[in-house]
Amino acid sequence: MKTIIHDLGKEQNERLLAAADQVVCADGRYAPCQGCFKCWTKHPAACELKDALNQSCRILGTSEDLTIITENLYGGYSPEVKNLLDRSIGVSTPMSTYRGGQMHHTLRYGKRNSLRVIVYGDITEGEKNTLQLMAERNAVNWGFREHSVLFCADAEEAGGMA
Amino acid sequence: MEKTVMINCSPKKKWSVSGFIMRCAGLMIRGRKEYLHLRTPDNRKGILQALTDADKAVFVVPLYVDSLPSHVLAFLKEMEAFCRENNLSLKIYVIANNGFIEGRQNEPLMQVMEHFCSRAGLEWCGGIGIGGGVMLNVERIMIPIMFGLMILNMVLRGSQGENILEPVGSFGRTIGVFLLLCCGIIAFGVRLAVHINRGTNAGKRYTRIMLPSFIFILFADIFFTILSVFQGGIFRGWFSRFKPDIGCSIIAAKDH
Repeated sequence: MKTIIHDLGKEQNERLLAAADQVVCADGRYAPCQGCFKCWTKHPAACELKDALNQSCRILGTSEDLTIITENLYGGYSPEVKNLLDRSIGVSTPMSTYRGGQMHHTLRYGKRNSLRVIVYGDITEGEKNTLQLMAERNAVNWGFREHSVLFCADAEEAGGMA
Repeated sequence: MEKTVMINCSPKKKWSVSGFIMRCAGLMIRGRKEYLHLRTPDNRKGILQALTDADKAVFVVPLYVDSLPSHVLAFLKEMEAFCRENNLSLKIYVIANNGFIEGRQNEPLMQVMEHFCSRAGLEWCGGIGIGGGVMLNVERIMIPIMFGLMILNMVLRGSQGENILEPVGSFGRTIGVFLLLCCGIIAFGVRLAVHINRGTNAGKRYTRIMLPSFIFILFADIFFTILSVFQGGIFRGWFSRFKPDIGCSIIAAKDH
């Protein structure tokens, strides 16, 4: 399954579907993660909050190839995309292990293929380096074998690169 | 007198490690202090207002998916515009903590905060990244329980004419072990407080709970098992590969 998560607006869903099996628009209208861990312990792989992000971890977990399109914010994801990612920690289990030489949670869905991050908007060299580091960390965290980061000038170009 | 705004960035209402660390750090910081909690958008206005006459701000932040939690990012965007509009020149310090044992896993979060400072025209003054911060919560729960048990033990021993000081020694040894586990956090916390009081750049430092990682992992697994029991049972599909429900409303798919 190839999935695109983006913050370009719902009107871009149709266009992006040409390059993926499924598309998720992160529009930031949802409550942030409350840090309760119930998506690990009480009802695994489902968030305690009963909104549209309730099963977002299952979408991430069942994606062999994941593309994230995000506006740059201080060398990281936009709040809209980060909201969805924070609500998706059920992609792993509460048990811990070593991965990449460090402590991480074991993977509910096992190793997957690739993580690609497409970043648009004004960005400095330092922020680019941070995004590279973050994508690398995320790939280890989520169990992606490969990762890459692409930078482009604006949202229009980012949508085209998917 | 200089003013420092301490911001607990945990979304948790209570029992957050960040809130506990904020209070502990606050004990070592001189001058006027204001303790605030950033949980919801409703908190943002009050925090921005508190920053207008502040000299320093200390963000105490949990690590969420290798970075800051989304509600903090949304606040920083607003704060950047606010600081630019009002020409604020704050010194920014960060105390990050994460559930994994390695403090270095906070590095991307620290870099994001540094870039935020550059964009907002604020002075980045560094901070500390703590690994295994959740153990601090365990300790703060255990210490009052063990103190209570010590008092009970002393009363029972006293009533039977035995040495009542023995439980004190035992309690003291436990406190000693707790302090040993936290010695890195305490040392770097004191160092950071000195820099905050002087208004100087603390650089970035990483520390952790002083346990071998394989023991910490064992404790973490036990912690989640106990937590699960309190939430109604264990292993209810903990490792199952659940698929999204058909018609999951946020998915746009080719076959829909």
